[in-house]
Amino acid sequence: MSAKIRVLVVDDSALMRKLIPQVLQRDPSIEVVGTAMDGEVGLRKLDELHPHVVTLDLDMPRMDGLEMLRQITRKHRVPVIVVSAQSDRGASVTLKALALGAFDFVTKPPDAASGRMDQIAAELAQKIKVAAGSGAPKMIITVPPLKQKEQRRTSMPNWPTRIVAIGISTGGPNALQYLFSQLPPEFPGCILVVQHMPEGFTEMFARRLDECSAIEVKEAQSGDLLLAGRALICPGNRHLKVRRMEHGNVAILVDQPRVNGHRPSANVLFHSVAQEFGSNAIGVLMTGMGDDGAEGLGAIQAAGGMTIAQSPDTCIVDSMPRAAIERGFAGRVVSLSNLSSYLQAKCVAERPLTEQANQDSAAAILTTASGLRRRS
Amino acid sequence: MTFSPDDRASELRDLFFESAEEILQAMNDAGLALEEHPSDKESLRSVRRAVHTLKGDSAACGYRELSELAHELEDVLTPDLVKEHAGLIAEVVLTAADTFRDMLAAYRSNLQPPDGGALREYVQRLLRKPATAGRGKSSEEATATFSWTEYERLLIAESFRRGETVYQVALHLASEAVLPAAAYELAKKALERAGKILALRPENSGDVVNGGLLEAALASTKPADWIRNRCQVPSVVAQISVNRIPLMETEPRDVLDILVESEAAAVSASVAGQSADLGEIDEDDEAPLSSAPTGLAHAVAENTLRVDAGRIDTVMNLVGELIIGKSMLQRTIAEFERRFAKDALRGKFSDALAFQSRILNELQKSVMKIRMVPVEQLFRRFPRIVRDVAKHLNKEIALEIAGQNTDLDKSILDALAEPLAHLIRNAADHGIETAGERAAAGKPVNGTVRLDAYHEGDQVVIEVSDNGRGIDREKVIQRAIERGLVSATDTSRMNESEINHLIFTPGFSTAENVTEISGRGVGLDVVKSALDNLKGSIEIETEPGKGTTFRLIVPLTLASIQALLFHVAGRLYAVPISSVVEITRITEAEVHRVDDHEVFQLRQQVLTLVRLERLESTEKFERSKRVFVVVIGAGSRRFGLAVDKLMGEEELVIKALEDQLVTSPLVSGASILGDGTIVLILNIPAVVSHLTRIPAVGATA
Repeated sequence: MSAKIRVLVVDDSALMRKLIPQVLQRDPSIEVVGTAMDGEVGLRKLDELHPHVVTLDLDMPRMDGLEMLRQITRKHRVPVIVVSAQSDRGASVTLKALALGAFDFVTKPPDAASGRMDQIAAELAQKIKVAAGSGAPKMIITVPPLKQKEQRRTSMPNWPTRIVAIGISTGGPNALQYLFSQLPPEFPGCILVVQHMPEGFTEMFARRLDECSAIEVKEAQSGDLLLAGRALICPGNRHLKVRRMEHGNVAILVDQPRVNGHRPSANVLFHSVAQEFGSNAIGVLMTGMGDDGAEGLGAIQAAGGMTIAQSPDTCIVDSMPRAAIERGFAGRVVSLSNLSSYLQAKCVAERPLTEQANQDSAAAILTTASGLRRRS
Repeated sequence: MTFSPDDRASELRDLFFESAEEILQAMNDAGLALEEHPSDKESLRSVRRAVHTLKGDSAACGYRELSELAHELEDVLTPDLVKEHAGLIAEVVLTAADTFRDMLAAYRSNLQPPDGGALREYVQRLLRKPATAGRGKSSEEATATFSWTEYERLLIAESFRRGETVYQVALHLASEAVLPAAAYELAKKALERAGKILALRPENSGDVVNGGLLEAALASTKPADWIRNRCQVPSVVAQISVNRIPLMETEPRDVLDILVESEAAAVSASVAGQSADLGEIDEDDEAPLSSAPTGLAHAVAENTLRVDAGRIDTVMNLVGELIIGKSMLQRTIAEFERRFAKDALRGKFSDALAFQSRILNELQKSVMKIRMVPVEQLFRRFPRIVRDVAKHLNKEIALEIAGQNTDLDKSILDALAEPLAHLIRNAADHGIETAGERAAAGKPVNGTVRLDAYHEGDQVVIEVSDNGRGIDREKVIQRAIERGLVSATDTSRMNESEINHLIFTPGFSTAENVTEISGRGVGLDVVKSALDNLKGSIEIETEPGKGTTFRLIVPLTLASIQALLFHVAGRLYAVPISSVVEITRITEAEVHRVDDHEVFQLRQQVLTLVRLERLESTEKFERSKRVFVVVIGAGSRRFGLAVDKLMGEEELVIKALEDQLVTSPLVSGASILGDGTIVLILNIPAVVSHLTRIPAVGATA
């Protein structure tokens, strides 16, 4: 690498302002050029020091992290990596930050022993490098206004025509939000998502997506039915698989070990979808760093399913889709803006997945089944 | 530059302890603010931020206990819980600050930290709902929830469609059953005999415990009683409940509506559950750009460099040496000028010297400024003290603080911490009367303690005043005589100020009963000696029934003084120029004797004349001799100092004298002049107190 990556550390804890630079400096390609204790100072230093990447603690006095982020994305266009606490509140603020254009985030676990700190440092250093390589945020996705409740889910619960499995990582929250907000409530496929995200973040993430989508989005639970117009997000720190059952198809969560350092892993989901649904599966590998999912996409292709890679130029980080493209596992390369219409076209299929003789009776059963929820 | 991991860790720990202090102070501040306004959101946010930072920092340093406790606390500091327990919150925050401080102290000395039981207790109390719902639940056995997955619900729905009846069955396993896994299998067999199991929790026999619960959705054509009988397994199943799931006989369309509604309700409920959190963040979002500084804002401005005080002292010492070097140069040049009055170099020398002096002056001022800190650093501790005393004694006391931006040398500020805390405790404890007494005296029930600081010339004045009962001089005199500190004849000669000052005598205490708060066996004499050490002084103003003001006067800095130099009996002395009121000349004939004092008249005032040599020996003087008198003001007292020869004014860099070198308590320090001469710096307060003692000594000797 020719020049060092200049990093500005913004954190209200004096200790973190010392610790983060110290661990980052161990990486020869990173140079911490300054620190700031709050947003105001941070913005001033941003003007003075011209860093390539900013690490930002969201919970700060005076101008808080979100406000600072808003200003950075508005004026400075410098990638920001959020350093957040692993808590409900932390998750909620972090997701907001991602929606505002933060490049990525790392979490400080509440029980950070010194050993964990090194691991986080490695993760942070890696993300800084990717962020520096990606330059200014390519696309800041505007958050669509919340849909009115009446507008959504007026159709009967139905079996899906196809199973769409999505693997996605860095840059995912915004890309998914964009994609889902484009899908109509009567979207005929069922979407399963592996988004690399820690435990505790996914539930809130699913809820946020649900709020701005016409389709139903929920964090997956074991036994959840694969329904049309529904997206299930794999919870952090678990793996998502699918299983065909006698009376319908379900999602199941398993606690297998990490696959290539990932849990959830897109490869696990893709393999499972390929095995259970074969040619009725659609695998989509979207923005993210690393190569999780590339190999699994190959499995879907081999099973006769359709495979799609998000076009690298519309990715925040393109190494995941690129890995699939380079290995020849991507049947199609589709830009983010075209993805929703492409998926709709591919899902409006000839016949439903489950061999139910009578669609209406299936709908009635499903309705009754869902109605039970109220009583239990 | 490489650090060994150990160095790095210890450096981080030092930094942690330092920043933790600031965090605790912020918690204390916010705690006090919450006591006033329990619903103050900004203070609560400041507390949460403080606790949050402390949690993260202590975790990073490996202080697990502290981190965990902070984590527990952070969890309960939600706006909702706080709203429910508004009365408790300030106490919780202050207790937390204390607990954390104790833990930090333990970590610092590598001890096992205290477990923070008191704080945990509070956390539990916060968690306790006003209703006792939580408690009732824990005493009871686990209750059946029947939360089936969607697929299981689908199976149940299909069963309905086939016309079967579906039951929710809960089997409580006996707590003293055989192997839980075996009990599970037996119970499951029983259920299979009773009907078709659509769903079963737990799914595996390994997940069940003795006294645990088996939940099942059972499809059957038989009535509930029959199922109940079938599920009886003696000594395995302790309790059975069977409920029929009512068949929904509505039209699908209507069911759909219910479904949509119930889903909408579920969504909005879950959103509502989050709304507290989200709502608060939204508020953050809407906060204007120029949001007001918050609780932590005054912690440290960025661009601040933390430097060990020792390093600044080193610089200060070097500057001191430079000043001595400058006066050496000055003297040499003066000598040169005398010898070579016509030399052209003269002018160049004095120009160079003037330039150097100016720079040196600036340098010294800048270094001194580094040491200057606002008294606020110290004052911030006191609201807590007043609050604690007031609470303990059941008094209503407000603390007013003014002049917190006044700068003072850090070492002086540190040395003042204890004396000031003592005075403030005293004011709150002894000064302010109880509410009843105040009401009886026609005063407002709320007492006020006031803390003020301001510059006065080269000195800083810190006032501690209260609007309490004032000092009862009769009582003071009585007590002083009782304790044998003075004789009755002495007291008759003493003026008000001298009587007031009796309370600073070691062994004096007027408190009727020694209280836990201020009567720890140390008296105000500690305050006095601390101020003497600082070359400061203390004044008292008191009016019975109206209140008392203690005025602490300390120099801006201890490092150097502008001094007046003079000779007495062949020795070179100096006094701070700030204490010199005027210089006058008198003849010995004008000196009169009153009792054992020598006095002289200056305009309308009669002043005591002090002869330094007389304090040690008694030699006769010629009455016609004219003497210089330096009139010194120390607080409200004035006296004259007879000197043989005035040597002028000079800036002195004070060198502390080692204890064994101090031959007289009247000397507080020494300095070295440019030519190497030693000059002794008079300790004015000590001279004053010596004066008041001389008569007593004279009377007995």
